[in-house]
Amino acid sequence: MRRRIPVLTSATLITALVATAMVAATAGVASAQGDPGGNQGRAKNVIYLLGDGMGRTHVTAARERYYGTDGKLTMETLPSQGFISTYAVEKLSGQPGSTNFHPNPVTDSASAATAWSSGVKTYNAALGVDATGTVTPTIMELAKKAGFRTGNVSTAEVTDATPAGQMSHALARGCQGPAYSDAACQDLAITGAALPTSDIRVTPIADQIARNGTADVILGGGLGRFDAADETALKDQGYSVLGSPTSQTVATKTDLAAATGQKVFGLFNRGNLTIEKAKQDNPAAVQAQEPTLPEMTSKALELLTREPTSKEKSSGKGFYLQIEGALIDKRSHANDAAQTLGEMKAFDDAVKVAKDFAAKDGNTLVIVTADHECAGFNIIEKGTFTNAEASAPPANVDSGNTANNSTPTRPRNVLDPTRSTGIINGSGAANPKNFASATFRIPSDPAGVVDGSPEASLWLTYLSGNHTGADVPVYAFGPGSAQLEGTIDNIALFDIVGHALRITK
Amino acid sequence: MKRTRPIIVIAIAAAAVVIAGSIAIGMTTMSRSDAATPLPTDAVKTTLPGLSAASGAPELASIRLLHPRAGEVRQAAGPFDDRFAIDGLAFDGTTVRGALRVTSDVSAVLDLEVIAGFYDAGGTFIGTARFVYHAVDDGPADPVTGTPVESIPFQATVPAEFVGRAVSASVGVPVLVNE
Repeated sequence: MRRRIPVLTSATLITALVATAMVAATAGVASAQGDPGGNQGRAKNVIYLLGDGMGRTHVTAARERYYGTDGKLTMETLPSQGFISTYAVEKLSGQPGSTNFHPNPVTDSASAATAWSSGVKTYNAALGVDATGTVTPTIMELAKKAGFRTGNVSTAEVTDATPAGQMSHALARGCQGPAYSDAACQDLAITGAALPTSDIRVTPIADQIARNGTADVILGGGLGRFDAADETALKDQGYSVLGSPTSQTVATKTDLAAATGQKVFGLFNRGNLTIEKAKQDNPAAVQAQEPTLPEMTSKALELLTREPTSKEKSSGKGFYLQIEGALIDKRSHANDAAQTLGEMKAFDDAVKVAKDFAAKDGNTLVIVTADHECAGFNIIEKGTFTNAEASAPPANVDSGNTANNSTPTRPRNVLDPTRSTGIINGSGAANPKNFASATFRIPSDPAGVVDGSPEASLWLTYLSGNHTGADVPVYAFGPGSAQLEGTIDNIALFDIVGHALRITK
Repeated sequence: MKRTRPIIVIAIAAAAVVIAGSIAIGMTTMSRSDAATPLPTDAVKTTLPGLSAASGAPELASIRLLHPRAGEVRQAAGPFDDRFAIDGLAFDGTTVRGALRVTSDVSAVLDLEVIAGFYDAGGTFIGTARFVYHAVDDGPADPVTGTPVESIPFQATVPAEFVGRAVSASVGVPVLVNE
């Protein structure tokens, strides 16, 4: 007679099989996201790419412009995708959940940088301090202290908010240097009385960057904020200084290509770096000698991963690298769609450098996001006009169904010929008061269709010249990247990165 | 004869699966247990060796090196001269005025300090006055376009002790920050 398997044994077997299958499935999903099974969000390296001012539509517009409506930017191919809320808080506000929490729906780059760098909400203009002015350590400082190599790359002045948020602390982002001033550096609304000028929070950011050694590799703009004393301080710490703050000689991409060593400081413009479109349009200009963001990204990775010489120290740990495409924001403020698109392309090309590195390395978390959206960038239907071009907003009455009516009554939407004088990068280019859209061809447009023509398919417009409070996209690849799916707040980025590198709880 | 082999095989297989699952879960637990790494309290460098604390207002050495003629207003060299232009610069014997227009970027001016130098009839430097601008929030925006205001009007008045002696002026910019 056949012996039946006891029911209890069968149940135990089935339960164990299901449990194992679930563990295996989780590992499989993690692998597909570039997350080797079992790493639990830990990574040897983190590359954090920040498109300043890059909103959801900036991504869509650049995709359609360069790769077509059915194409993808590199960042859009990263497997984990979500959104980040970016709000700041008022001065002296508590953190979210506290009784004196006072949010500000629209952030600036400084408070946003503090959010992901230090994991705290703060007021606009604050760097590396919370809303009460208390110094908060940054991810880059914590990583440096823990033995990681660190890098900070930007197309802006390196004293500007986004790069400075990782390697300085200031009550006010205007305290950049080269000179201290009460107005630019103090904030009596926070501290009551002026702080002594020896306090780090009112020390010019350039002086801090040149002396604190937080970032091993510093590449970007802003040479005009550094002076001879800064150059001496950098060299005394072992930095290879490209160009010269003393003589105000900017570094070049040739200098960058030849750079070597554990610490490299290279600034390629006295102010912000030159926009890509201008460099491409003027290849013989001196500004064309500035490296691109993808070139700086590639070199930073090379420097951060080079094998140390026998005389150099090595902790055996990985690196934390922040990369900023800063000019997306600045050209959005200017409502220049062509320049904005060019900066988006350059930023996405830097993302490709990072993704290729991470895919080969296998133990690198890549995060791509923004600090805020800038200027309400949008894609409108071909041949239509925006509210800014009209004499009144759209009609809001329906004689056939008065239930649809709203107030104040607006019978019709009419184009105002004084506010809309032709496509702004086409027939309307001469009028500085023109609110019309800019148009751009996309790959699927017929040959012969040109930018600035009404036949071009991509019609782009801006809401204003300032930041908006819209959530921004986030894309991620590598160990722990699944944490970036859904919608999270920008201060959560601090914990995600800190956990990945094992430098926070 | 008892047919125990199938039961034993199944039991062993089940045990192996459970053990494998436990190892996987155990690895997870081990990863989480090493997460309690204390934050380094000295990660922030609050003192910067070799850096002298600032004292006083920012100065421009170039102001004292100029010797303008009577009625003349000149621009003194500063670290941000490649970022702006000055429109309508004029000195009426009492006040020097102009408008600083940022030419490097379209973005709000967050901080601006203009030093005005004053000189006697012999072109000798006698003193300074300042114009200081610090933006509240993100700086002013044009009420029509909404874009950041790039041109900041400034003025600086001859200090009382120099009234009647100052016949020429200069302006220089030691502090300029855009958003």
